[in-house]
Amino acid sequence: MEDETAPLPIRIVVTDDLERSRVTVFFRLLLAIPHLIVVTLYGIAAAAVSIILWLAIVIEGKAPESLQSFVASYLRYSVQVSAYLNLAAQPYPSFGGGDGYPVDLEIVPSPRQSRGRAAFRLVLAIPVLLVAAALGGGSSFGNASWFASQRTDTEWTSVGWGGGGIVVAAAFLSWFASLARGRTPRGLRDLIAYGIAYTAQAVGYLLLVTDRYPTSDPSRVLPYAALPAHPVRLELTDGLERSRLTVFFRLLLAIPHLIWLSLWGVLMLLAVLVAWFAALVTGRVPLGLHRFIAAWVRYSVHVGAFLFIIGGPFPGFVGADGSYPVSVAIDPPQQQRRAVTFFRIWLAIPAVILGSATTGVIWLVGLLGWWAALFTGRMPEGLRNLGAAGLRYSAQANAYVFLLTERYPYAAPAVRDRPHDEQLELELEPPTAGFAGVEPA
Amino acid sequence: MPSGLHLAAVDTDSVFGKAFVRKAVRVERFFLSTWLLGQIALFATLWIYSRRGARFARESAAGPIGTGMLLGMLGLGIVWLVQLPFGLLDVWWARRHDLTKVGYLDWAFGHWLELGFTFVSICVALLVVMFLARRLGESWWIPGAVAFVAIGATFAFVQPYLLSETTPLKDRALQRSGEKFQREQGVSGIPISVEDVSGTTSQANAYAVGFGASRKVVLWSTMIDGSFSDAEVRVVLAHEIGHHSSHHIPKGIAWFALFALPGAWVLMRATRRRGGMGEAAAVPLALLVVAVIQLALAPAQAWISRRMESEADWKALQTTHDPAAARGLFVGFAGTSLGDPDPPVWAHVLLDSHPTLAQRVAMAEAWRRRSVPRRG
Repeated sequence: MEDETAPLPIRIVVTDDLERSRVTVFFRLLLAIPHLIVVTLYGIAAAAVSIILWLAIVIEGKAPESLQSFVASYLRYSVQVSAYLNLAAQPYPSFGGGDGYPVDLEIVPSPRQSRGRAAFRLVLAIPVLLVAAALGGGSSFGNASWFASQRTDTEWTSVGWGGGGIVVAAAFLSWFASLARGRTPRGLRDLIAYGIAYTAQAVGYLLLVTDRYPTSDPSRVLPYAALPAHPVRLELTDGLERSRLTVFFRLLLAIPHLIWLSLWGVLMLLAVLVAWFAALVTGRVPLGLHRFIAAWVRYSVHVGAFLFIIGGPFPGFVGADGSYPVSVAIDPPQQQRRAVTFFRIWLAIPAVILGSATTGVIWLVGLLGWWAALFTGRMPEGLRNLGAAGLRYSAQANAYVFLLTERYPYAAPAVRDRPHDEQLELELEPPTAGFAGVEPA
Repeated sequence: MPSGLHLAAVDTDSVFGKAFVRKAVRVERFFLSTWLLGQIALFATLWIYSRRGARFARESAAGPIGTGMLLGMLGLGIVWLVQLPFGLLDVWWARRHDLTKVGYLDWAFGHWLELGFTFVSICVALLVVMFLARRLGESWWIPGAVAFVAIGATFAFVQPYLLSETTPLKDRALQRSGEKFQREQGVSGIPISVEDVSGTTSQANAYAVGFGASRKVVLWSTMIDGSFSDAEVRVVLAHEIGHHSSHHIPKGIAWFALFALPGAWVLMRATRRRGGMGEAAAVPLALLVVAVIQLALAPAQAWISRRMESEADWKALQTTHDPAAARGLFVGFAGTSLGDPDPPVWAHVLLDSHPTLAQRVAMAEAWRRRSVPRRG
């Protein structure tokens, strides 16, 4: 049994200060082309080397360190190129990768690996490659996303593509934000960094740099990521144990909830319409409407958590506060700016784009979690937390679209709030300050 | 159907052929065996679930009614799992005798939507019962039975509109025959449709659905693919129209109402020791009780159904005046379904919703005997 609290052998280090040059942002894709060519050739060489590594480990149980270092250096370079391409970092990387890049990897290779697990590495890696494909952080990994998508049938490709855009979608939004403000939003940067870090773990595992199975737990992949204060907060008190019987029939058991959620949703949309006019006139959503809409948003989280195995128990039908172990707390109505209310539907477009990409990841979490929970009676913590982070984002996006708050959803895949004083610090953090939360290597 | 109609015994060997009868008996025996084993497994499962199922309540964060729904759905799910092997055996046997073309995986997992519909149905049923039981206490069974009859009647009415995979009958001659039979039986405006089942089965069938404005007759595509003569298909049409002209579907709802009231009362009494139907813990026991009630009422239900089918057969003969076609049809049915023309008495009493094929041939003969002197 692996120690789940031990440091990850492949972990990301982010010292990026969020500042961006508009000119290099504008031409980012073109500027990255030379690196993409080099990293592709480097990737072919690394893949060839990993075959030798595979043979060495399967025969001797030990990998030649020089070969492992070669693959590890490829991984680092790939991460740097990926970070540059996807706007998670500003400086132009050095060819072949160099030290001190603002988004970098720390790698502790495992020369001694289990022969059995190495022999079936390609099969064992399929779930993590699927997740990597859904996250889409491997655009320069020669290409993990492409690999996972192409190996599967049309349906899988569509799932992978739907969520596969999560890093791409974040980079796309970040491109506009960086051009407009000269600075990339922290949430988007952290989301991209998470996707890159997870994909690096997946590729490192596939290419035998380590035999540690990748984790998708945001709090482990991106331990520094914190949630700023927000009127919609995730409440996660659920355990990881799952009843195999309820897991097996999960989709069918969720049908009554899905029907009820849809019916309630129709009424909720009418309520949103009324709330929109009320908020335009009074600057605030009336309490009764706010409660009604908030209950639907909470209920949608309960149903999503149940359906995708993120939560264990069968939820109630009213979305009551505190009634489900995977839920969201929603603050009472606050004053909202009329202009923001008036243009809400247009302002929500980026959140909706990211939300739809997140939905693809949540579906994949549900699918992989279904198999895992069916066989082990337990939901893997990493998948559960990734799914919970996705639900939190969806709830915040829904709350924004449906006028519960004018606070924009926070994109970083963090799960738990920091204590109140730390949230305050984040709130008060000067906009140009460098990120101080990086854990030391 | 005339009262006191005497059906003469039919020599099945000479009507259906000795070799065929032997084969049909063998085929039918297998299906009856799997049915019996399936029933034993079903009741054993429900008995265990009635004792231990309540523990799944800890898997629920919902209130009593929501938890009851969960327990109800899980019970159905377990029953589905337990019945799966027997169903697969039936599919294997049916494929072996060319009675179906459906694949094993397709049969087992190709009907999730229907299973989902069943899950939703039990949720609605439990919502009604548990809500009433929590509001009215032990008196729930009276309005509960009324509600179920209302739901049943509503479903029977809307069912024709839910049949999305049917197309209007294109054969003009058959269409005209159908209209003529409707006039002769004193009804009109009943549409005749065809359901394409060619990809799943080789058996032939037809049915009448709806009542009032929603009445409809549906023929399986296997009925009009050339396996049967036009005269035989006309007998089928007249039979199904006979169901409508005899108001069998509203009568069936009335029978259901008659059974629903005592059934609901028995359910109320049986679940009393678990706190009554207002408590989620009573749901697993309720599933067992409902299964027992259904089995106990099966002979009565089958008898009522057989009476209605006999009446429709007689109407078909009265309308078509073609006992030879009716006889040919029933012999043909035996061929396509490999049905035992004269099944064991217990199976007939408990399971058969139609008269045996031998009885149906006998009825055609009885009609011919009655009509000959009158004409002469």
